[in-house]
Order: sequence, then structure tokens, then C-alpha cells
Amino acid sequence: MLQVHFCTFPNGASSNHMLTNSHLIVERQGCSLSSTKTCALSRKDFSPITQEVEGFLHNVVNMGLVDRLKLAWKIIFPAPTIKENSNANIAKQRLKMILFSDRCEVSDEAKKKIVENVIEALSEFVEIESRDNVQVDISTDAGLGTVYSVTVPVRRVKPEYQESEEQYRGKIVGVDFKDTGESSGNVDVTFDFFVPNENY
Amino acid sequence: MASAPPRLPPLPGSRCTAVSARAVNHGGRTAPELSGPTPRVVVVTSGKGGVGKTTTTANLAASLARLSFPTVAVDADAGLRNLDLLLGLENRVHLTAADVLAGDCRLDQALVRHRALHDLHLLCLSKPRSKLPLAFGSKTLTWVADALRRTPNPPAFILIDCPAGVDAGFVTAIAPAEEAVLVTTPDITALRDADRVAGLLECDGIKDIKIIVNRVRPDLVKGEDMMSALDVQEMLGLPLLGVVPEDAEVIRSTNRGVPLVLNDPPTPAGLALEQATWRLVERDAMTAVMVEEQERPKKKGGLFSFFSR
Repeated sequence: MLQVHFCTFPNGASSNHMLTNSHLIVERQGCSLSSTKTCALSRKDFSPITQEVEGFLHNVVNMGLVDRLKLAWKIIFPAPTIKENSNANIAKQRLKMILFSDRCEVSDEAKKKIVENVIEALSEFVEIESRDNVQVDISTDAGLGTVYSVTVPVRRVKPEYQESEEQYRGKIVGVDFKDTGESSGNVDVTFDFFVPNENY
Repeated sequence: MASAPPRLPPLPGSRCTAVSARAVNHGGRTAPELSGPTPRVVVVTSGKGGVGKTTTTANLAASLARLSFPTVAVDADAGLRNLDLLLGLENRVHLTAADVLAGDCRLDQALVRHRALHDLHLLCLSKPRSKLPLAFGSKTLTWVADALRRTPNPPAFILIDCPAGVDAGFVTAIAPAEEAVLVTTPDITALRDADRVAGLLECDGIKDIKIIVNRVRPDLVKGEDMMSALDVQEMLGLPLLGVVPEDAEVIRSTNRGVPLVLNDPPTPAGLALEQATWRLVERDAMTAVMVEEQERPKKKGGLFSFFSR
């Protein structure tokens, strides 16, 4: 990504910023002494906040003088905002979690039945490594709420459901025309012809 | 039944903005319209103790009686009896439902009528030191409700004050109920218990559950230290019957033995409970706001408004 900013200051100085993938190059020319200062700051020097501010400043340049003054005032004297980690919000988050887990608590025999049913449903498609190692866990996730996860160790997929190479037998892929023969009368094509491995 | 205009205390000039809200909310009507068949059996429950079930029951019952709806308030806590204290009737309870079930007296002898509110009766389940007759068990209150229905003048409302917890006493209390008022405070412990109780009520077949959020401190809600009524409603997902602010008058009225809603001039908590009563009668619900509007001093306009947010 390459970004170039040109700024001209009222007293004749100018500075060019060039933002490349890894470096920010600042070239500044003073007005009185024609001195040019170039310094390159690599991306590592920037904290994420500075990059946000860069984008913000980019937009600010387009605003009028009065708007910029107002903005400057709000930045220097920011108004108090609602704290994200206020006590009420913390309580709400905790309550959400606890309500989810309370509402979705399942008895032990229900857990056993869930495991059995899941094993039965899955063994139609896969061979299960060992039935005793199947676990069901109930946890809460901030985004999804209550999450039931059943962990099933699998030995292999049953033959009829395997992602087999059968489908590719005899298929032609990767066709590439180097010369379609319109002008020269010759056709030059490369392609791949799939021959399945006999011992899989 | 609600044709006679009720005896409401005269409203003061301008105590707080909520005062004028009464006429605004109710469109200038003097009495709510009863919705649904009578008698309406409502259980006031909460799960967690100390959130204000008994206070709410006493005040809702007093409000209903003042609106001329014959009401029976039942104290379903067999072990720890408190509803009689809040209504100021503790000296007049001699016979209880246990005596009626044992066949020692008639039902109307066990009902205690309030001195000032003639439409309000109190029924206590049992004397504190005796056990309920085992023959009835959890169906005790169902029998009582049916017996009240069969009287010559059945009440319009039967309010059941449920004991705290979710054990046998709770199961007994919710058995005859068709509606529930869930009282909770906006703190995390009460809300967790309220959610659990809501689940149990729904399992038992009571689908009409409404919340009253009690002991709300508007100053703490504004300072983001306490959850607001809106948050509570979001969390529990149930319609809101009322939001009652924390009010010292509750303590004073308990000590005096006169229900809060009878105060003249009315206090914020009393007004909120009165409004909740209207909504209960009409089977209405309120929409919650984040923070209740309060009178704000006028800002100095002009040059300085630019600097303030």
C-alpha cells in the first residue's frame, strides 16, 4: 500500500509523507534554509493508535477551518463518556453469562443420552476411535451464549463417505492454450490428465 | 364493581414530576377497567428473600381495596408470618386457614377485615408454631381459592404472598395461581434467583408473569453503578408491571402498620405502586426507560452552551 501526502505550510515549508508497506518516509523542507530532512520510520515504530490517527488526520485535512477548531476543542477538552467497564455493565455481563449457564444446565443422565445419541448419529459416517473418550462440555461464550461441545475422537471415515479420488478418475484439468491456432494453424495446449493411484 | 369513584387522597401541588403523570397516564379516568374473569388469583413471588414481596403484596392489596375491588390477601408463609404486620392487623388474627381445614371454624371467620379499607381481607395460612395438615399438602391453597370462589360474594382479587425460596412453601403458594408478579431488585443476585423462579413458574403452567423492579436508586443508575429497569427487563425478558424507587417512607409505613399507598401526600414509591396496581387490574405493562426523567436546572444559554455538552 502506498500513500503519499503533500502538506504545504503557510510560511513556505512543505513536507511530503510517503507511506509504503513497511516505512513511513517523511521529507520536510524548511523555507528559510533550503534544508531537506528525510527520515524514514519503519512500521514497527508505530503503535496501532498512531495509524488510526493517520487515517483520521487524512479526513481532517478536508474539513473547513471552523470545523477543525471545534474538533480541536473537543480533543483538548473531551466530554466525559460512559465508561465501558462501569459497575452496571460489569454486572450485566456477569448476569448474562450466569443466566445462560443456569438456563441451559443439563442433568447428568441427559448428558449421557446426548453422548449416546451423538455417537450413534456419527457412527453412520465415521469410525469412532474409542467410545469412552467422547466428552461433552458445557461452556459459555461471550458471542454465542451457552455452547455444548461434544468431542469425538475419530479413527477414519467410512469408505462410502470418503472424499475419494474416484471422482477425479479420467478428469482433464488445468487446460492451458498457448496457441489457439487461429493465426499459425497450430494448436499448442497443455493439460493434466488424472490417473488415480492404484494402491490407496 | 368499579363504578363508584374511589376515595383517592388529594394530590399535592408539585412534589415531583411523577405526580402529574397519574392523570396523564390514566387519561383522567378515576378507576381502571377490570380485565379477565374474577376472581383473579395472583401470586407475588421473588425467589430471593428481602426484595419486597410482602411490602408489594400489602400495598397492591390496599390499592385494590381503595379502588373498590374486593380483595383477599393471603399470607402463604406458614412459618414466618409478616403480612399481618404490614397491614397493621397482627392483633386481630386468631383463626387461620389451618383451623378452617381442620374443621374448627368457617372460612369467613378466618378472614380479617381491615379497619379502614372495607374491601380488604387478610387470611393467614397457619399459626407460626403449628404445622399444616398433611392431608392437603401442596394443594392447601388451591382448596382455599376454590372455597373463596364459592362464597356468596367472591373477591375480585386473591393476592398470595409467597414465601422466599423454591421449596415446598413456594410450590404450595403457586399452586392455585394463574398470574404471577415477580418482584426483584436490580442487583445480580436477585436477578439470578428471579430468572430461576420465572422458569419454575412457566413449568408450573403460569404464563402470565410480570416484573416489579423494587428499590431502584435513580442516582446510582445515573452513575452507572446500578442496573436500570430497562436492563432488568432485557435480562429477564418479561413485561414490566412497575418500577418502584427506594423510599424511606416504606420503613416508616411498615413501622406504623399503615400501607404506603394510603399516604397523603403520596410518596414516589406509593405512586409507583399505585400505577402498578392500575396496570395489574387492566393487564397492562409499562415500557421501561433507562433513567427516570427528573427536573433539570435550566442551562445558561448563549456563549457558554458551546463549551458544555
